[in-house]
Amino acid sequence: MTNSEPTYTRPVTTTSGDPIEVRDLHKSFGKNHVLTGIDLTVANGEVVAVIGPSGSGKSTLLRCLNRLEEVTSGEVLIVGENIAVAKGKKLDAVRQRVGMVFQHFNLFPHMTALENVTLAPIELRMLSRAEARKRGVELLTRVGLADKVDARPASLSGGQKQRVAIARALAMSPEIMLFDEATSALDPEMVGEVLQVIRDLAASGMTMVLVTHEMGFAREVADRVVFMADGNVVESGAPSDIFDNPQEARTQDFLSKVL
Amino acid sequence: MTLLRQPANWWRENRLPLLASITAMFILLFTIGGAVGVANAATKPAAADDGVKGQTFTIATDTTWAPFEFERDGELRGIDIDLIKAVAKDQGFDVEIDVLGFDGALAAVTAGQADAVMAGMSITKERQKTFDFSNPYFDSGIQMAVASNDTSINGYEDLEGKSVSAKTGTEGFAFAEKLGKEYGFTVTGFQDASDAYSDVTSGNSAAVFDDYPILAYGIATGNVALKTVTDQEKASSYGMAVKKGDNEALRKAFNTGLKNLIEDGTYQSILDDYLGDNAPDATGIGGGKAVLGNSTLEPGKPGDLPKNPAFATDTPQTNGSFTIATDTTFAPFIYQVGGKNIGIDMDLLRAIAANQGFSVEIKTLGFDAALQAVTAGQADGVIAGMSITDERKQVFDFSDPYYESGVQMAVSKDSDITSYEDLKGKNVAVKTGTVGYDFAQQLSEEIGFTINAFQDSADMYNDVAVGNSAATFEDAPVLQFGIASGSVPLKIVTDAEPGSNYGFAVAKGANTELLKMFNDGLQNAKDTGAYQQIIDRYLAIDDTAAVDNSFWTLVKTSIGPLSQGLVLTLLATALAIVFAMILGIVFGILKLSTNPFLRILAGAYVNIFRGTPVLVQAFFFYFGVPAVTGQPLDALTAGVITLSLNAGAYITEIVRGGVQSVDPGQMEASRSLGLGWGASMRRVVMPQAFKIMTPNLINQFIITLKDTSLLSVLGFAELTYQGRIVIASTFRSFEIWIIVGAMYFVVIWLLTVLSNWVDRKFNK
Repeated sequence: MTNSEPTYTRPVTTTSGDPIEVRDLHKSFGKNHVLTGIDLTVANGEVVAVIGPSGSGKSTLLRCLNRLEEVTSGEVLIVGENIAVAKGKKLDAVRQRVGMVFQHFNLFPHMTALENVTLAPIELRMLSRAEARKRGVELLTRVGLADKVDARPASLSGGQKQRVAIARALAMSPEIMLFDEATSALDPEMVGEVLQVIRDLAASGMTMVLVTHEMGFAREVADRVVFMADGNVVESGAPSDIFDNPQEARTQDFLSKVL
Repeated sequence: MTLLRQPANWWRENRLPLLASITAMFILLFTIGGAVGVANAATKPAAADDGVKGQTFTIATDTTWAPFEFERDGELRGIDIDLIKAVAKDQGFDVEIDVLGFDGALAAVTAGQADAVMAGMSITKERQKTFDFSNPYFDSGIQMAVASNDTSINGYEDLEGKSVSAKTGTEGFAFAEKLGKEYGFTVTGFQDASDAYSDVTSGNSAAVFDDYPILAYGIATGNVALKTVTDQEKASSYGMAVKKGDNEALRKAFNTGLKNLIEDGTYQSILDDYLGDNAPDATGIGGGKAVLGNSTLEPGKPGDLPKNPAFATDTPQTNGSFTIATDTTFAPFIYQVGGKNIGIDMDLLRAIAANQGFSVEIKTLGFDAALQAVTAGQADGVIAGMSITDERKQVFDFSDPYYESGVQMAVSKDSDITSYEDLKGKNVAVKTGTVGYDFAQQLSEEIGFTINAFQDSADMYNDVAVGNSAATFEDAPVLQFGIASGSVPLKIVTDAEPGSNYGFAVAKGANTELLKMFNDGLQNAKDTGAYQQIIDRYLAIDDTAAVDNSFWTLVKTSIGPLSQGLVLTLLATALAIVFAMILGIVFGILKLSTNPFLRILAGAYVNIFRGTPVLVQAFFFYFGVPAVTGQPLDALTAGVITLSLNAGAYITEIVRGGVQSVDPGQMEASRSLGLGWGASMRRVVMPQAFKIMTPNLINQFIITLKDTSLLSVLGFAELTYQGRIVIASTFRSFEIWIIVGAMYFVVIWLLTVLSNWVDRKFNK
C-alpha cells in the first residue's frame, strides 16, 4: 500500500471480494459459548449496525473482527486475510487497515490529542513526522477539535475524547471502521457530536460495523441492521424492514422494549 | 630503631558483621560522656593489687580467633581465656567473659561496658593513646601465607601487580599496605580472618598477611589450605588493655598474676597445651617484660633498678670494684640531676654491675679526660656515649654495642614534611661540628636545600620551631630525649640513619674480666627487658598530648578517604541500578508472559533472590562461585552482580505490578492501530506503568544504595569500608559513623529531590 501523501481514505487494494466475511464463527470463554456459528458478510462501503440485548455477543463479534478476542473456530476474513489464524506482522498489517473505536475511548493519557493521532503513522513509518502532524491536525479539525490539538485527554470531555479516538483510528487510513458502543459511556448531551462524526464518515463511503444502542441512529445511517441474540444472528435486513417489520419474535420483543 | 620499636599501627577490627559496628555506635551514643572523654583520662597509678579482691570484672574478647579464643570441647577456651581465668584465680577476683568481636570488645571497653579487652590485642603506640596495656603476655609477628598448592609466590617480590588480603585494622593489614607500596601490590581488607583466608584459597588474592600464631594454628589443625612462605616480621606483643586511666587496679593485678603464673609454671603449661612444641618460653615473653610485674623505673631517680626475677640485681658484690670514667654532660646518656649522675649510661652500668656482682665508682671527667684516664690507667673503663670507631679500636677494647645511634631528622610540630625529598629548595638548621652537620651537607647535594649552621643547639631548634628552617638533623637519642623531655618543640618524621654504635671501653688488653661481665650483664638486661625499661625511661616519647582531637580536624583528615568511598558507593549503586532495571523489566515482562515456562522461570528468579539475604548472596558470588569455577571475581564485579540480581528481583515485582495496573484497554487500543506487542509496550504501556512505578523504584534505588554498605565485607572500598578503616586508625567511631551516616543521608536526600524533580518533569 502506498501513502505518499496524506489522503482521507486509503486507496482500495482489494478489488475482488467483500472486505468482511465471517463464516461459522464460534467463540467460547471456557464453558460459556458466546458466539454460536456466526455468518456475516459486509460489502465494500456498506454500513452495518449490530443491535441486540446485553450479553447477546455483539461486542464479542466486533472484537473478533480484529482479533482482540481469540477465535475458537470458524473463519474471519478481513480484506481477504483469515485473521482467525494470522500471526505476528501479518495480523498487525490487517489491523492497520481496520480502525476501532472503543466504548471507553482508551485514549493514551500520557500523550496529547495530536500525539494520540500521530502515534501509529509515525511508529509504523506510514508517514514522516511532519506529514503525520499535518494529517493529524487535519483529522482533528475534521472532527471539530482544531483547538484541542495539544490538549491531554484528561482535560477533554467525553464527547471530545471519543472524537479524538475516532481521529486516531482514521489516522492509519483504514478501509474498515469498527465502533464498539461508541456513545454508551457519554453524557446524553455529548452523544450528538460523536454521532455527527460517524454520520459524516458513513456518508464518505467507509465500510463500517457499529455495535450500538442508538436505534434511531442505526436506522438513519445503516445500510443493514443485524439483530443478535444468544450468540447468534437472529435477523438481518434493511433498517426499515427490521425496525418496522421484524419477522422474528425475539426481534419484536427486543424492539418493543427499546423503542 | 629500638626507640621506635612500636610501629604506628592500625587498629585491628571488625570481625563481627556490620551490626556490631552499629551496636557499638549506639553503645557510644548512650554513654557519650565516657566515650568522648577517652583521650584526656589521667594515668596516675592506682593504689595496689588488693583493690580487685572479690570483685567481678567483665572481660571483652573476640569471637573465634584460635588459638587465643575459640570453642573447645563445647566451651570457650584459648590462651587468652585460660590465662585471664588463671590470673583471676591467682589474684582472687572473678571474670565474666563477654564475646563481642574485636571491634565490639574495644568499643565496649572505651564505652565502659566492659572492664578490659583480652583478645590477642597487639600493644601499639596508636592504641596506647586510648588504652593502658598490661605487660606483654605473648610475642607475635606477621607472616605471609599463600594457597597450599601455590608454588609461584616465594617472596614479597613475587606479589608485584597482584592483590593480597588481610583482616581490616590488623597489623597484618598495615604491614601489607606498607609493603604493597614497595613491591607494587594492592591490599583488600576483610572483617573476618576466615574471609581473608578464603580470599586466598579462592584465588582472588595471591597471599594473606596475619599474625603468625593464628596462621600457624590454622595450618597445623588443617583448617585452612594455606602455607607460610616468609619469616615473621614486625614483631609485636599482645597485652590486656583497659580504658586509659580506668581499672588501674585490674591492670596491675594482671601484671602481678602473670608474673606469678610464669614463676610457678602455670602459664607455661597453658602455652604448651595450645602450641605444643611451638610454645614460646614464658619467661622470655616481651623480652622478659612479662615477668616484671609492676616494677618500673621512675624517671629522674637514679639507681632504682627493676625488680625483675629474671634479672637479678642483688648479686653479692664479690667480683671486685671498678672505677669508670665518663663525660660530664651528654644527655640522655649522662647528666646530673640533684647532684646525682643519671642517664642511660649510668643506669645501664649500675644495673649491669648489680647483676654481675661488682661495684663501680663513677668519675665524671669530661669526654677527652675520661678517655685519657683509661689509657693512663687511672680508670678501669669508660662509658660516655662513645662511638665505636676503627681509630679508637687501636687504643681500646670495646664491649658489644649497647646503643645504636644515628642521625635523625626533626621538623616543627605542624610541618607537612615527611621525607628528605620534601626539603628540596628549603632551609635546614644544623649544629656545626656534629655528625648531623656532616650528614646534612652530604644530603643537600643530593636533594638541593640550603644549610643554616648554628653554634648552639637551642638556636638551631628554635630556627626550626619558628619556621625559618624546615628541618634539623641531630643524633637520634639526643633529639628523642629532647622531645621526650619536652625541651625541644619538634617532631620526628624519619627513621634514624644507620650510624655509629656506642660501646663501653677498657684500655686495650686490660680488664678483660670487666669487659666480659659488662657484655654478659648487657645481654642479660636485653633478654629480660631491663635494658628496654632503662631506654624507655629516657626516650619513650609520649605523643598523646600532640594529638589534635577536635571534630573538625577529624573531619579534615577523614574526608579524603570517605569521599573516595562515596565515589565507589555511587559507582556500584549506579551500575547495580542499571543492570537491575534491565533484569527487572525483562523478568517483569516474563512474569506476565502467556508461556508458563517463562512465568515459572521469572517466578523462580524472584523467589530465590527475594528469599535469601543480600549478605549471603554477596558471599556466594565472591567466595562461593570462584571456588567452583576457579575464575576469581573482583569485589566490584561480585558486588554489582549481587546487588543487580537482588534489586532486579524486587524491580521484577515492581514492573509486573506497574504493567498490570495499566488499563488493558490501552494495549487493545494500541494493538488495534496495528502496533506490534513490543511497540505497544514501549510506547503505550510502559510509559504509563513507569509513572505508577516511580515511587517504588525510587525506594528500591535508595535501598540498593544503602545495600552497597554490605559489600564492605568483601573488602570493597566503599563508604562504610572507608569509615571502618578511618576508625581503625583513629578509634573515633562515634564521630565517624555520624559523618558516614550524614554522607549517606545527604546523598540519598539529593537523589530523592532529583527523582522527584524527574518525576514531575516527565510524568506529568
